[in-house]
Amino acid sequence: MRGQSRRVFSVTVKDGQVERIICGLNKGACSRILINGSWGFSSTTIIDKKNLLRLLKDSESLAKSSKPVKRRSVNIAPVKPYIDNYETSMKKDPRREDLEVLVEDVLETDKEVHSYSRNVASTSISLSVVDDELYFANSDGARIKQRIVRCFGGASVIAKSNGKIASTYESIGGQMGLEVFEETPIREAALEAAKRAVRIVPKRVVPGGHYNVVLENKIVGLLAHEAVGHTAEADLVYGGSFLSNKVGQKIASEMITLIDDGLYPSGFGTMKYDDEGTPTERTIIIDRGVVKGFMHSRETARQFGVPPTGNARAWSFEYDPIIRMRNTYIEPRDQTLEELIEEVKEGYLLRGGGGGQADFNGEFMFTIQEAVKIENGDLKESYRGAAISGNAFEVLNKVKGVGKDFGMLVGICGKEQPNYVGIGGPSLITELLVGGS
Amino acid sequence: MTSLIEAAEFAVKESQKLGADEAEGFAQKQRVTEILLERGEIQSERTKTQQGIGIRVIKDRKLGFAFASTLNRRFVKKTCRDAFKIASVSPENSDWVSLPLPKKVPPVPKGLYDEELANLSPNDVLSMAIEGYDAVKKVDPRVSIDDGKLSVFSTEVAISNSHGISLQGRGTAASFFLVCIAKEGGETSSFAYEYEVSRTLRNFSTEKVGELAAKKALMSLGARRIESFKGEVLLSPDVAAEVLFGPVISSVNADNVQRGRSLWADKIGETVSNHVLTVIDDGLLPYGLGSSSFDAEGVPSQKTILIDNGTLKNFLYDSYTANKSNTESTGNAARSSYSSLPSISISNLLIEPGTKSLEDLISEIDRGIIINRFSGNVAAESGEFSGVAKQASYVENGEIKFPLRETMISGNAFESLRKIVEIGRDRRATMMSIYTPPILVKDINIIAK
Repeated sequence: MRGQSRRVFSVTVKDGQVERIICGLNKGACSRILINGSWGFSSTTIIDKKNLLRLLKDSESLAKSSKPVKRRSVNIAPVKPYIDNYETSMKKDPRREDLEVLVEDVLETDKEVHSYSRNVASTSISLSVVDDELYFANSDGARIKQRIVRCFGGASVIAKSNGKIASTYESIGGQMGLEVFEETPIREAALEAAKRAVRIVPKRVVPGGHYNVVLENKIVGLLAHEAVGHTAEADLVYGGSFLSNKVGQKIASEMITLIDDGLYPSGFGTMKYDDEGTPTERTIIIDRGVVKGFMHSRETARQFGVPPTGNARAWSFEYDPIIRMRNTYIEPRDQTLEELIEEVKEGYLLRGGGGGQADFNGEFMFTIQEAVKIENGDLKESYRGAAISGNAFEVLNKVKGVGKDFGMLVGICGKEQPNYVGIGGPSLITELLVGGS
Repeated sequence: MTSLIEAAEFAVKESQKLGADEAEGFAQKQRVTEILLERGEIQSERTKTQQGIGIRVIKDRKLGFAFASTLNRRFVKKTCRDAFKIASVSPENSDWVSLPLPKKVPPVPKGLYDEELANLSPNDVLSMAIEGYDAVKKVDPRVSIDDGKLSVFSTEVAISNSHGISLQGRGTAASFFLVCIAKEGGETSSFAYEYEVSRTLRNFSTEKVGELAAKKALMSLGARRIESFKGEVLLSPDVAAEVLFGPVISSVNADNVQRGRSLWADKIGETVSNHVLTVIDDGLLPYGLGSSSFDAEGVPSQKTILIDNGTLKNFLYDSYTANKSNTESTGNAARSSYSSLPSISISNLLIEPGTKSLEDLISEIDRGIIINRFSGNVAAESGEFSGVAKQASYVENGEIKFPLRETMISGNAFESLRKIVEIGRDRRATMMSIYTPPILVKDINIIAK
């Protein structure tokens, strides 16, 4: 059984006015029961004895009734039952601070963004604090309490000029206390978004085609997560993803080492234990181009005959844990961004990430906000961004340089259920298809 | 406290006691049963029961909002205090006029609540999922399921505000989707997506979804690449909904209009698309996925013409934006749950169908592609779209030649609306409550390696 209490505080300002301040509490419990190799799951927000008993009954009846149609009988790898207490390391615990000061912060940022240029037409700037208390207990005797605090913010800016419109977005945050808003102020992120929006609004969309590109560090995390990471989730590997049967094989340039780390300091996806009570770890997926291993739950660990890696995560008490990434990144090497641009000679520097999707054969797409033409190793004019696409493993094989400008960002990934993840990496050189004009 | 309306009314009274000028309680209860299919097997099944309340209070034109996942009296009281406290620290909003006043609400449209669907047991839902699963297997052994989900919802809501609105409603819905792939000789087809969504069990067939998804996957085996060109693109209802109507919905949203986020802000009465296009928002559509007799603030639902034969007619308002523009709300306030404030949304977006069947549309294409799934980005404000054409085929001289791989499309939705060649006859309900036929558009960039 798991229990959760999620306290949310968020403030959103749009164009000089507080759009919303939300203060909320979501509390609930769920049970998951494994009977004769079949799972059943139920959740409720009504926490009293009657409903908790109904919860157990519902899970039991689901597990039993679906048993005959399941092709696979579930067995789970053993995990030592831990009794432990974990809390996000924080300098400024939001429970002990006055959250209303955040309202001022956002209002001032909004004002500054609007005064940056007359072409800034509209803004939406927000700061949020999500304070989770998670309880885990299982029939082996595990009793784990974790308090995970995430503070984050986002700025979306719309610029308008001569009947044209362009939108940009930047984010900040981490698994930290309110100090994250001092270390990486929303003001700076918002101004960066504003500058980009104003810069690209008069420009054309980047011409479509297959190019040599430098992916800015902020986009490389998307590549690591979206294009590669998902194919290394053991449930997808089992279903026949690109990486199935490729352990020990070289599938990417030897400049590529890809990690999924459950313990990355202040990472958005960091947890001491996953939602099955398994301790998390630093899992090496690709080591210098060679596939090393996958991300596992207790169920897939047993299937694959390996130890579980602590990747079973649930968005809330309303969801059963499934295999999810935590903080996924490509390790940095030694080149500067300037050196990478020089090395490409002809192509584009792609900047500023957006949403993405991937199929488990490694075909991916994600959006970039801006493309800057590279000519003779120098940066030339800017274009509006577009979607980029390719096969992750072709793209990783064609990596010709990896930078040292490592950056870690916050993200929310959707795989049937959403979850908080960290994504990171350095800038790098590769080739891909740009869906431009 | 047992009933939702009691909880909502209690919240309003408590907030008034605290000194609120105006208050609103929105209470919701939902029971969901879901069956997940993954990698060719039933992966998990779950039931969810959730209830809660969101409370809006206004004091001196300052707004506060708080929510809690309980209807327990003590917690509701505390939530009122939280909302009131937030109002007290919020800056004054000089545009604030009032929460909506009570108005006569139309009768509940037919077909929003299905007793039979509401009473399905988890086992019944499971059997329905298995029917979909078996249908895939029956079509062809080369096909397997990558992903799928059957969800059955039963929802009740209640709204009360300090001006005397006090309303209750209920609804049911079922949705099912499948993603299938076909494998042959080391080749994997593109991922084929098929779905069904309905308010009632009538006409809801998981079997049909399974069969169609499997056939779509098979059709994309043997995919080839083409050269880049500019040509005609036949958008399936899903793709049309996402690529063309996403930007339309954003541009008719009064909040975007007022904030300078809509390119149509000053275009009422002007031509914004080819004259073949008529778009209506209808909150009272019988069996409609987005239908109800009142919206998420208790304002009566209605039918609003947005685009009439190519001419922009109206925007969609909630009460706040209507007050700001000195007009009436169109009843388009929506909330995703009790934990969110109302914001403007379509109810059911209806695209008037044309006269041609899918085959007739294809026969009119000189050189172009058909696209059934779009994996990409649509910038709602600027209308720019760019992404991968999935489940796509190449068409020449009115005939489908072969399936495509590694092909992208890009363009601008506002330009494409003017370049609609033809709207098909057969309209379908997409998952986004947009009811659209397939649409043929010209001059789209088709990009390949």
